[in-house]
Amino acid sequence: MAVKLQPLEVLYCPVCSLPAEYCEFGPDFEKCKPWLIKNAPELYPDLVKGENKWSWMCIFLHSSGTTSDVKKDEEVKRLPGGKVKKKEKPEVIVEKIVRNKRKCVTIIKGLDMFGIKLSDASKKLGKKFASGASVVKGPTEKDQIDVQGDIMYDLAEFITETWQNVPESAIYFIEDGRKVPAMG
Amino acid sequence: MFKKFTPEEVTGQNQVKASVQRKIRQSIADEYPDLEPLLEDMLPKKAPLIVAKCQNHINLVVVNNVPLFFNVRDGPYMPTLRLLHQYPGIMKMFRVDRGAIKFVLAGANIMCPGLTSAGGALDEEVSADAPVAIMAEGKQHALAIGYTKMSAQDIKSINKGIGVDNMHYLNDGLWKTLHLD
Ligand SMILES: [Zn+2]
Repeated sequence: MAVKLQPLEVLYCPVCSLPAEYCEFGPDFEKCKPWLIKNAPELYPDLVKGENKWSWMCIFLHSSGTTSDVKKDEEVKRLPGGKVKKKEKPEVIVEKIVRNKRKCVTIIKGLDMFGIKLSDASKKLGKKFASGASVVKGPTEKDQIDVQGDIMYDLAEFITETWQNVPESAIYFIEDGRKVPAMG
Repeated sequence: MFKKFTPEEVTGQNQVKASVQRKIRQSIADEYPDLEPLLEDMLPKKAPLIVAKCQNHINLVVVNNVPLFFNVRDGPYMPTLRLLHQYPGIMKMFRVDRGAIKFVLAGANIMCPGLTSAGGALDEEVSADAPVAIMAEGKQHALAIGYTKMSAQDIKSINKGIGVDNMHYLNDGLWKTLHLD
């Protein structure tokens, strides 16, 4: 049976109506800025840098969504039609796991957050790297793709070329338990 | 195409017959196979399916007052950008470089060099006269829906002139038409 795709949630700017990442090209970027600083600081790090230390902290708390104080503040200042729900930032995580000494598996998580069908992705990966690739349930019940062998180093390029909606900046490797950006 | 579109431009809205509804559904399913399992929810058999006729032989497929697809004459159906944003994997993709973004958002057609430069990218399987999603360098979401004038191979080798017609883009008239009453 065919798999039903899950709709992707897109963060639209209530000021200019565009996806937040396009505000900079919208009709009036200046007007969008206050909303962006509050709701999409990761998209415009330069805007956030311009703010003072205190608001930096607010944003930090705000995006981790912990303190009730900040939440109240958010409710007061929310723009009409503003989106409230914090969206999980889509990212692709790649990890290499060594099984029985020399056997190695590369695990890819998060492609589904970009609206990519994992069954298709696994087929493409298997073909590209001429190895076994399969979709498996991950430990957190989220699906992931396992590819036999160490393919870490060609992978980022392959992903961004095959699925052009995945920016290289959203790809991370797990190296020695640390999350490092694929870029750079 | 939808640059100055407003709902006033709609010349007629018709609830289509069941047979026509089936045909529209089938051609959408053929064009976008990944959408097929969702079409029962998206274009329910029981809900009236409206085809709104607009200027320049444009048709909009409307369900519950929301435009979901459009086509020109009896050309292939293309999703609205709001629908594509939800299901980005259904269309083949091209990517323009950052420099081209502002031109695309002003309604310009997509020139070959914007797709072949370092920031651009082409899906080499795309032929001429095909619907394609237009992505942008450094951005996650599509900014336009295009219709190719040349195949991806030709865009690459000829590398000048218009490669893709800009059918629908962020902030054009169709984008602003959330509801059609
Ligand atoms: Zn905006």
